[in-house]
Amino acid sequence: MPVILNSDSEVVSSLEESNKPNHARRAPVLYGFAAFVSLIGLVDSIYLTVEHLSGRSVQCTIVRGCSEVLSSPYASIRGLPLALIGAIAYFAVFSLGTLAAFGYKSAARLLPIVVGIMFLTTLWLFYLQAFVIRAFCQFCLLSALVTLVLTVLVFLARRQQKSKLKLVL
Amino acid sequence: MKRALPFLIIAVVLVAAVLVAWNLKQSAVQAPIAAPTPSSSQNPSQSASPAKVAEPGADPPRAIGDAKAPVTLEEFGDFQCPPCGLLHPVLKTMEQEFGPRLRIVFREFPLVSVHQYAAVAARSAEAAGMQGKFWEMHDLLYENQKFWSNAFDVRPIFEGYATKIGLDLEQFKRDSSSEAVAQRILQDGKRGTSLGVKGTPTVFMNGSEVPFESLAPEKLRVLINNELTAKGR
Repeated sequence: MPVILNSDSEVVSSLEESNKPNHARRAPVLYGFAAFVSLIGLVDSIYLTVEHLSGRSVQCTIVRGCSEVLSSPYASIRGLPLALIGAIAYFAVFSLGTLAAFGYKSAARLLPIVVGIMFLTTLWLFYLQAFVIRAFCQFCLLSALVTLVLTVLVFLARRQQKSKLKLVL
Repeated sequence: MKRALPFLIIAVVLVAAVLVAWNLKQSAVQAPIAAPTPSSSQNPSQSASPAKVAEPGADPPRAIGDAKAPVTLEEFGDFQCPPCGLLHPVLKTMEQEFGPRLRIVFREFPLVSVHQYAAVAARSAEAAGMQGKFWEMHDLLYENQKFWSNAFDVRPIFEGYATKIGLDLEQFKRDSSSEAVAQRILQDGKRGTSLGVKGTPTVFMNGSEVPFESLAPEKLRVLINNELTAKGR
């Protein structure tokens, strides 16, 4: 069992090799749950992408403002719908979450980076809705909620692994 | 097998995501409701008549241009819908470019569940129409959409527009809340629903739905020219 570790990869590696039965308890479940939650975001983003590309005002059932938000200049970056970028991001999270749940350490390392970027983007988009566009779109709010849950789950999963590290050391 | 399982799951989800997107796209893009026929193509209120379910809409329709024009664009619009506001200058450009060869019909399709002032804007335009100034009010509403959409109370603003275009203000107020105006909006809405309109703007050219992505000026110009060529004009 190593006492000095040089990098996170070695940590994860050592965990997997030396403590696999223990490691296989909570973190993979959290990653699996994150993958499942990301599916909600994926469906939401696909819907918004299709609506964005159709270009019409969409019916909002819970809050007003869908058409204002979706037709705002912030809904696309150089002609690429933001919702499409979101769909790709959620699919990436799903893929990484699934792989991490199956013990792929590089996926577990990459996941917090992707989710972190998504979280910061979500904060920015929430600010835009609240203070610039001054309208909220329920589908965008759902996406924000999903990203928030993903951030918490991935944070907990990483913490779980880190606490395992301490036990190993 | 266990090593392949996560990749298999990812592949399945990818295929499912593509299928979901495809299904949504298919349901969002309506097929042409009624194929244009040579005899019906000049009158928008009859152009979709081959479809059994098409309602006639308010009669007479709010139309600009020659009734015998070879091409008719029928727009189902909502004055508070931002994409409709973007389409407005495009249709204005087409109107100027094609002159007597193009007729434009506007149908009320206020998305009241989405837009707070869509109904009152539609009523105001129709009330102006009662005094023969529908298009003047129509233009003002679209040109100032961003301004009144965020207003606390739009009625004084719309009354200001009514005065500006020279309407009898008292008559305008009476007409705005009249049953006749409500019926016109209702009839247009029924026509839109019968044609499968779900969002705004939806535009039909001689009875065939124009895909939203083709409503950009350069694409719409090509479509109109093609239609004119087909009609030998």
